[in-house]
Amino acid sequence: MKPAGRGASVTLTRLEKRFDRVAAVAGVSLDIHSGEFLTLLGPSGSGKTTTLMMIAGFEMPTAGDIAIDGASVIAMPPYRRNIGMVFQNYALFPHLTVAENIGFPLKQRGVTKAERTRLVGQALELVHLPGYDERYPRQLSGGQQQRVALARAIVFQPRLLLMDEPLGALDKQLRENLQLEMRRLHADLGITFIYVTHDQEEALTMSDRIAVMNEGLVAQVGRPEDLYDRPSSRFVAGFIGESNFLPAIVRGLEDNVVVAECDGAILRAISPNKPACGDKVMLTTRPERLRFADGAWTSDAPQNRISVTVTEAVFAGERCRYMLQAAEGTAMVLKEPSSAAIRRRAVGERAEIAWSIADTILV
Amino acid sequence: MSEAIDARVLPAPGRGALALPFSWARTVPYLLAAPLLVYMVVFYALPVVTMLLRSVTEPDWTLAHYAALADDTVFLKVFWNTLYTAVIVTLGALLLGYPVALALVRTRGWTAAIILIVILLPFWTSVLVRSYAWMVLLGRHGLINEALVAAGLLDRPLRLLNTPLATYIAMTHILLPYMILPIANALRQIDPSLAKAASGLGATPWRTFRQVILPLSIPGVAAGVLLVFVLSLGFYITPAMVGGPREITLSMLIAQQVDQLNWAYASCLSAVLLAIALVIIGGAWRLPGIGNAFRMSGR
Amino acid sequence: MRKHRSPTTLGRRAAFGLVTAGLAAPFIRPSLAQQAWPEQTSIPDALKGSGEVRIATYGGTMQEAQQKAYFEPFEKLSGIKVRPFPGADPTKVKAMVDTGNVEWDMAQLSRGSIMNLQKTGDYFEKIDYSLIDDGVSPEFRFEYGLEMLLWAQVLAYRTDAFKGATPKGWADFWDTKKFPGDRAMFGTSGGGWPEMEIALMAAGVPADKLYPLDIDKALASYDKIKKDVVKWWDTGAVPIQLLTDREVTMTTVWNGRMAALQAAGVPAAISWNQGLLKRDAWGIPKGCKNKVNAQKFVAYSTMAIPQARVALGIPYGSVNSKSNEYIPAARQEVLPSAPAIKSQLVNYNYDWWIANRETVIPRFNKWLLS
Repeated sequence: MKPAGRGASVTLTRLEKRFDRVAAVAGVSLDIHSGEFLTLLGPSGSGKTTTLMMIAGFEMPTAGDIAIDGASVIAMPPYRRNIGMVFQNYALFPHLTVAENIGFPLKQRGVTKAERTRLVGQALELVHLPGYDERYPRQLSGGQQQRVALARAIVFQPRLLLMDEPLGALDKQLRENLQLEMRRLHADLGITFIYVTHDQEEALTMSDRIAVMNEGLVAQVGRPEDLYDRPSSRFVAGFIGESNFLPAIVRGLEDNVVVAECDGAILRAISPNKPACGDKVMLTTRPERLRFADGAWTSDAPQNRISVTVTEAVFAGERCRYMLQAAEGTAMVLKEPSSAAIRRRAVGERAEIAWSIADTILV
Repeated sequence: MSEAIDARVLPAPGRGALALPFSWARTVPYLLAAPLLVYMVVFYALPVVTMLLRSVTEPDWTLAHYAALADDTVFLKVFWNTLYTAVIVTLGALLLGYPVALALVRTRGWTAAIILIVILLPFWTSVLVRSYAWMVLLGRHGLINEALVAAGLLDRPLRLLNTPLATYIAMTHILLPYMILPIANALRQIDPSLAKAASGLGATPWRTFRQVILPLSIPGVAAGVLLVFVLSLGFYITPAMVGGPREITLSMLIAQQVDQLNWAYASCLSAVLLAIALVIIGGAWRLPGIGNAFRMSGR
Repeated sequence: MRKHRSPTTLGRRAAFGLVTAGLAAPFIRPSLAQQAWPEQTSIPDALKGSGEVRIATYGGTMQEAQQKAYFEPFEKLSGIKVRPFPGADPTKVKAMVDTGNVEWDMAQLSRGSIMNLQKTGDYFEKIDYSLIDDGVSPEFRFEYGLEMLLWAQVLAYRTDAFKGATPKGWADFWDTKKFPGDRAMFGTSGGGWPEMEIALMAAGVPADKLYPLDIDKALASYDKIKKDVVKWWDTGAVPIQLLTDREVTMTTVWNGRMAALQAAGVPAAISWNQGLLKRDAWGIPKGCKNKVNAQKFVAYSTMAIPQARVALGIPYGSVNSKSNEYIPAARQEVLPSAPAIKSQLVNYNYDWWIANRETVIPRFNKWLLS
């Protein structure tokens, strides 16, 4: 199967969906670029699946607009939108064989039988299931079923593929394999993917960009590393990866850097806006970016430092995880790669920790 | 990629040991309809066994009663009429019942409750009262004729009552719930995302129905058809009350023969009626439409 | 509430009766409540006793009439309690006697059904004629039963259908030019015997030359009316319903049914001419528990006053010749036992039917379906 050229661009404008006055989607605006792998990430109830269903045409928006390649599709029934879709439960037709399932969209489009057979064969190759044509869905494992669903969703060369938690029902190992395959497929096909998941790791691994959703709104859109390194809100910081949250009071501003007092220490943080002195703010930093700063460890980069006591120490194989407490009770987590060369800390031990100012974000 | 490798290691697709357990999952709609069938067998089979014996033991051990049926023109006519009526009624109930089952499954809340009550309402009135109601409606001076004449659509009232048509209408009405409920059961079991998937893949609503919903509801249709057909075979009251002058069903003939004290002949006819029902239930499994419903999951 | 049927059919008929009786009942009660019924004040000691007698009846208005006419007086006079059971049916008698579980001490049947069953085995007790009243003429007496009610199967028609013309007999019934409209006739579907006599009379056979019935000729006569018969009825409620609903203009009926119809204001009348005079009979199932009480009740119920009381309650005739003095002249005009009416009726020959039904009914069935 040849790549179907560039993918479709999708524009959501103040999209809303209310069920009995409860807003499932409360005004989402989003530009999804042609050929992009965009993930809608959020906890359950955040409106991500509803948003996807509106794009697919299965839910009618209460307000707002959806445009594909610049043309509104609001009034278009799903069967005319020409969008590939993969469901969480695969939604394979149990009464049809694998070949008939994959051929289904082709049949609807009047593709001849011979051509159908050829395209179905290609699609099966693409998802690594050649020779499974005559099986029925029930005779396949979950992973195989998901591949068939994927093949069915792309066989008619749509310019947009929607996926609703497609790996949710699979075990971890299989999920990781399929994540890679989907990346590869995306690269091969060059079409636009919109992917819904509540699994932040999956989102980080696969996406070009991630739209984090919360309570029916987009909390932040950006590349995975931007979201990880520069979360714009406490919600995003907490939802993507693990974060330490340090309550602080603003004491001053130095260019883009906020100077704030936390637990008796003066910390510096990157801030997108300029808070006033005396404001109560929240600083965030990732556990793996903290280091024990005593002994030989030094760094040239500008650093924050704070004294702590180890309250808990967990050895987790590839890394050690420490629960720490600052003088006034602020709790923090520190993760350190495990190494025979690094001394492990004991509970009750006092230490100083340090981390880069660039890794400290005011949210 | 371990998944893909696994796939290639598996034996060639086709019939395999996997087939058996899967067929059970698909027969669930049948199991739903089963209590009624089981009930009929238990409360029908025992008396009929006694009757069967009578048909071969009077006056002595003999098969003469059965042998005589082949030349019995009354029996053959009645037999044919009974089957023919059952076929018409079954088709009528299917055509009218399927859309109602769809409506029942696709509505929610009050609407669904009201549809369900309307479907079940006939169960709460006796067959007799319902047949009588049809007499009131279909009579030469009944509501339908009076309305048509009043509207100027007819010069003279039509003869609707005391015709085979009246039998078909009334029996279809009485048996509709037996068609609707198994079909609704089967429809309810269809994963709603399948219809969405079909639509998303480019199938118009009609094609979604034709290629996805309909084939998946076949087990329910088969159960409904079997129930209605088999129940139709035993109908007595309705054809006697609203049917035409020459419309004699097998059960009417049986009752007549019981009254005439020809009990051996009556039991012989009962045995035939039961045999048809059993043959039809057994044979239905082999019909292409119904059989496919099992084969598709049994592979 | 006349004919007896099989267990399988009874439910339907009983319920069908309810539907129509529901309409008719309010109009029947006034006649039951009529003043000045003759009262019997004493009975011979031989009819007194104790315990109970279980009587299978046809239920409905018939049983209501019987209740007042002779169930209640008998209880008072004899000291024997009467327990009526609607649903009299020869097939039930057969089943009861066959299984040895006889739940009825006596049943209202007909000479035909009693003798029919007796032909196949020993199903009935002999009647104790030493108890029976002299007024019951020998024609009503037979070994295994006693006839206890006269009724007629007659022509009934809508008086508004023929512009004043009056059908006078079966030839008119067959004449659909002069008397247009659909017909209904008694059929065999409920175990009845077809009205072969009527077909023969329509073809011109004189009433006194009917038996033995010429079946070929009867069927040929039936051929001429077949297309006009919209219903071959099997229970008495049906022709009444058909007349009421104007589904037919003419039908055969059981005469007792017509009173309620006329009382309800339906313009319909009976033509007694060439009607078939039939009788119901008490039979005592073999091996019943209260056989002695049953014999006593059979005797009491056929005495002059009880018979007259029934005739006053429901328009069926008495089998006791002494009853007439208790029945006013006006009432006589609707009773098949009244001399002026009885002379127009044809005596139904049960014996011929008992001997021939096995061949006649299959032939009728075959004719009907051809």
